[in-house]
Amino acid sequence: MNSSSTSSTRKGDRKVYLIILLFVILVAVFMAGLAFGSVSLPVSDIIKALSGGDKTSTASIVIRSVRLPRVTAGIFAGIGLSVAGVILQGVMNNALASPNTIGVGSGAGFFVMLSMVIFPAKIWLQPVFAFAGALIATLLIFALAYFADTSRMTIILAGVTVSSFLSAGINLLKTLNTDIAININSFLMGSLAGASFSSTRLPEAGIVIAFIAALFMARALNMLGLGEDVARSLGLRVGAVRFLLLVISSVLAGCVVSYAGLLSFAGLIVPHIGRKLFGNDARILIPCSALLGGSFVMLCDLLGRVLFAPYELPTGIIMAFVGGPFFMYLLLRRKGGRRINA
Amino acid sequence: MLDYRNVSLSCGGTLLLENINATFKKGKLTTIIGPNGCGKTTLIQALNGISKVTEGSITYNGADYLALSPGKRARLLSFLPQVRQTIPTLSVKTLVSHGRFPYLGFYRRMTDHDREVVQNAMRRAEIEAYADKSADILSGGVRQRAFIALQIAQDCECIVADEPTTYLDAPSRRKILGIYSGLRDEGKTVVLVLHDIESALEISDEIIVMNERKIVSKAAPWSIETADAIEDVFGYKIKRFEDEEGRYCVLTPARSV
Repeated sequence: MNSSSTSSTRKGDRKVYLIILLFVILVAVFMAGLAFGSVSLPVSDIIKALSGGDKTSTASIVIRSVRLPRVTAGIFAGIGLSVAGVILQGVMNNALASPNTIGVGSGAGFFVMLSMVIFPAKIWLQPVFAFAGALIATLLIFALAYFADTSRMTIILAGVTVSSFLSAGINLLKTLNTDIAININSFLMGSLAGASFSSTRLPEAGIVIAFIAALFMARALNMLGLGEDVARSLGLRVGAVRFLLLVISSVLAGCVVSYAGLLSFAGLIVPHIGRKLFGNDARILIPCSALLGGSFVMLCDLLGRVLFAPYELPTGIIMAFVGGPFFMYLLLRRKGGRRINA
Repeated sequence: MLDYRNVSLSCGGTLLLENINATFKKGKLTTIIGPNGCGKTTLIQALNGISKVTEGSITYNGADYLALSPGKRARLLSFLPQVRQTIPTLSVKTLVSHGRFPYLGFYRRMTDHDREVVQNAMRRAEIEAYADKSADILSGGVRQRAFIALQIAQDCECIVADEPTTYLDAPSRRKILGIYSGLRDEGKTVVLVLHDIESALEISDEIIVMNERKIVSKAAPWSIETADAIEDVFGYKIKRFEDEEGRYCVLTPARSV
């Protein structure tokens, strides 16, 4: 897959070790996510519960019906946001693009709230609405930027505009409907607290499908990075590819928002961390960002549960507190030398 | 082989090309020269759909070129645009291997043949030493050669490049022009847009002089026609002389400033 790894084995090896390490971290965080919480459980209980050997004890019920869905939801949220971020940054050719910075998150959030207001009983509609909202916001921003002028600045300006417009919509719905059946604060900050298998099954399936589609489109995404005219001369159907990629990122971001709310930040910083560690080849960057993102969101959720137990902090707050300083550190380090991936 | 027939092109109500008739002959190197804004870039951009032809037709070996699918076009003709708004942060080898995209199947897997073509292309452009370097840290000349390697890897009969030597120093320019004339010597049809008139005269089989959206002359580089057109359009006279070491050409101002 990585064509450069064959000729420079040392660099390739380093990446392979990193990927293995990330896998180990993912598994470790997954197990920790099952073990810790308001009550700590021993690993033996987790294995028993997961293997289905014990279905009746309290520990098993806690793990199988509370923690497992939540930890899984965390992994998928991380995958969805990170991969959506990689795609948006590539398509918009802008390092500042992410589901949240350009208003895709608010689009999805606004539509999720609409669906809660109009069809409160139909939970399965929420991911569908979220996808529609994400797609509408993405296309709106893209159209604005495309017809005004395609500079990087315009895209971000258009994103900020669309984002605040839709946030106002969210606040309007919130003000008019005080009886919405969710905890509005945790929705706005992003939280995995309500995750259950019945509410996350559909969006998680959406994320899996979109993730696979993203892997197939990785080479095309790389080609967009060569500039539109070069990609075109190589026979890429630039318009169609861009549209398809935007649809994929909307599915990813929309599905996450539908159950986790406006989780921010992972979509912006995880792709950048991935770029620093693995370079910009989307064929490697997409799976590795997914790996990183899954661990990152799970870890933030875990911290939110244990730091002030039995009180719980919304995942989004932890994410901003952990991710913010880390990202600042990365930005500062960049000033010192050339990019790390070279 | 590549024919423009009565091609006009306008964008947003502004006429950019006016009734262009030109034939780019097989196995020849044709260079388009002309002052800034005369439509050189638009003329060749019409080939990849960035600029849309509003009248007339472009045919490739008799077939309507613009009606072909993008994939088919990319196997017949490779086009290297002038300004690249983005500098890819991919390794040079990955960058060059994109040239094989038009040939890859559904799964986009490269075969051994593809890898060999990529390797050869890098050798031709003398960038093998940079294969694992990220393209954004290369000097301008090497980066341009990486893009030319991408074009060679695309392995098309017809090769078009827009100002491939602009912003580069003299040795890099020579190297790049050497690559293109080498491709012509192998039988490829090469079309270049250049600003450097002396180099254009030196390497081309045919010179097209453009001015104000139109073609002013199409002729051999050392013909009187071309010399007249250059004097008319640029205000420079071509002086040629020879000594035991070779042939030279110098442009001298025809009018005082």
